[in-house]
Amino acid sequence: MTGSEKVPVVTDQPETCRVADAEEKSLLRKVMDNFADHCRSRSLFVLHYCTGCGAIELPPTITSRFDMERVGVSPMVTPRQADLLLITGYLSVKTLKRVILSYEQMQAPKYVVGFGSCTINGGMYWNSYATVKRLDQYIPVDSYIAGCMPRPEAIQQVFLDLMAKIDAGKATAWQDYYLNYDAYLGRQMNLFGQDWHTPTDVVAEAKHYGYVGNGTTGEHTALLDQRATWSLDTVPELYPARGRNERSRP
Amino acid sequence: MRPENYRPVSHPPSHEYELYFGPNHPGIEGNYAIRVRLKGDEVQEAIADGGYLHRGFEKIMEERLWIQNVALVPRICVPDPVPMEECYSRAVEQLGGLEVPARAQWIRVMMLEMSRICAHLFTFGGNAATIGFYTNMFWGVSMRDLFLDLFEEITGARIYHMYITPGGVRRDLPEGLLDRLAALLDDLESRLPDFEDLFFSNTVVINRATGTGTISAEEALAWGVTGPNLRASGLPFDVRRDDPYLVYPELEFEVPTMKDGDALARMMVRKAEVLESIKILRQVIARLPHIEGPVRCPLPNPLAWNIPAGDTFARVESSKGELGFFVVSTGGAKPWRVHVRGPSQMHAVQVLERLLARGRLEDIAQIMFSLDACPPEVDR
Repeated sequence: MTGSEKVPVVTDQPETCRVADAEEKSLLRKVMDNFADHCRSRSLFVLHYCTGCGAIELPPTITSRFDMERVGVSPMVTPRQADLLLITGYLSVKTLKRVILSYEQMQAPKYVVGFGSCTINGGMYWNSYATVKRLDQYIPVDSYIAGCMPRPEAIQQVFLDLMAKIDAGKATAWQDYYLNYDAYLGRQMNLFGQDWHTPTDVVAEAKHYGYVGNGTTGEHTALLDQRATWSLDTVPELYPARGRNERSRP
Repeated sequence: MRPENYRPVSHPPSHEYELYFGPNHPGIEGNYAIRVRLKGDEVQEAIADGGYLHRGFEKIMEERLWIQNVALVPRICVPDPVPMEECYSRAVEQLGGLEVPARAQWIRVMMLEMSRICAHLFTFGGNAATIGFYTNMFWGVSMRDLFLDLFEEITGARIYHMYITPGGVRRDLPEGLLDRLAALLDDLESRLPDFEDLFFSNTVVINRATGTGTISAEEALAWGVTGPNLRASGLPFDVRRDDPYLVYPELEFEVPTMKDGDALARMMVRKAEVLESIKILRQVIARLPHIEGPVRCPLPNPLAWNIPAGDTFARVESSKGELGFFVVSTGGAKPWRVHVRGPSQMHAVQVLERLLARGRLEDIAQIMFSLDACPPEVDR
């Protein structure tokens, strides 16, 4: 870029946001983005959620033998402060609901890594009635580790690859969730039923971050808008009301 | 959902509140949840909420060949997979009338005891972390890793070995493995006093764990408690001794028990079991070089292998408790029905719910880890 070129700078946010093209970004913005990406890649907080059997290889990876904290990866207990969601193996339908809730609670930019064959094609449980076969139909995935079970070296390698990807500004799967939210929501509704919805207003978030595309809204998000009221009581399968499943004690 | 549509739930004024403990919680073991009703920090009622790890094993196994299920069974319990392989293999051997060669029986005992040590070291770490001792977790996990290296050398895999098959084991031990195992056992034994100093004789731990989650002997029998948890309540029952399998009758070992039945007693029983396992492994190291012969009996073509009709029940002592497989065959190439009787289902559902109802909020994690339940095996 030469200094004589006029660089359009987006100063006023218009009513309907859109994704800024790479050429539209100012030099300062690009430098700041690159710097922020570099910093992000060096401090990844992993959400502490053991979704499947791959979690058994996480303690060796975290503790003294492989020690992933020396590359800047550390566990974090709340989704609000986590950057990285590890899907450690197969997901049953019941777990997938919680995974989507946790994923939507995480602040962007956020990254997802799928462990093992089970997240890629169902793996060992390809004909199970209870598990989800392809993870990337429901949430966007940045990296996969093949095999069952992935070794700690493989887990470390995927962290290093992901860090390089974030540093280069290529770990953009989370933007895909905003740009194609309607398709993701549709597949989630196919699995969980038409009543499926989460407390997070993803469309508003997409507007906030400026990632509104043609696929952000559609027939499935229209179903959400039709719903007049929402409360914890209307989602019995996710938050069972007290009294349900209650058993008498001997 | 639009924020303007959100209506908060109104509750009647009360001193009680409900807390969702898990599945996304560092104090829970694996992917498992408990709903607790609290008054202050006293638990009024706890309801176990499982099913997050349900894969439908018993149904999947009906659709696979007898030999394919060998790859499936270790995945039922992730931290302690070898007893699953042994139990399934023995059930198939009983149905098919297979005779396991002597050398394979000794190798199987070695694998089972190594797996038991691994699972107990892992539990030491988890148990310590719930009381705030993270050093112990680092030590336990790194000691376990040395055993995983030996597993990898024997079987090619760290976690899921798929080494024990119906009729024996997959292949013989590598050269010099027993020497390396002996050196590792010496190493582990020399480090156990450090664990003792840091954790088991620590006043903080003893004060915290004494009287937490107590199970009396009568309750333990009534609730179906097995394994180390049962022995911590003073009942000396061990499948290895009382319904022996493989070559356990030829081995000398004791069944450690404690009287109190609380979290501390359950930890102490596991610590004593590690010492017993070291004793068993040393006997295996001494005997195994003198036992020659094949490690597997001749098997038919595994892709067209029909097991005679019948049903059988096989049980082993896993590190979590008594594990059983009920297998029914109709003479076909696949099992007609497989039922897994796992110890963790009793411990993590009915026992845990009752123990938590007497406890406090800060003890939930400790009680769950001291029972050493394994959520993948609860849900299966």
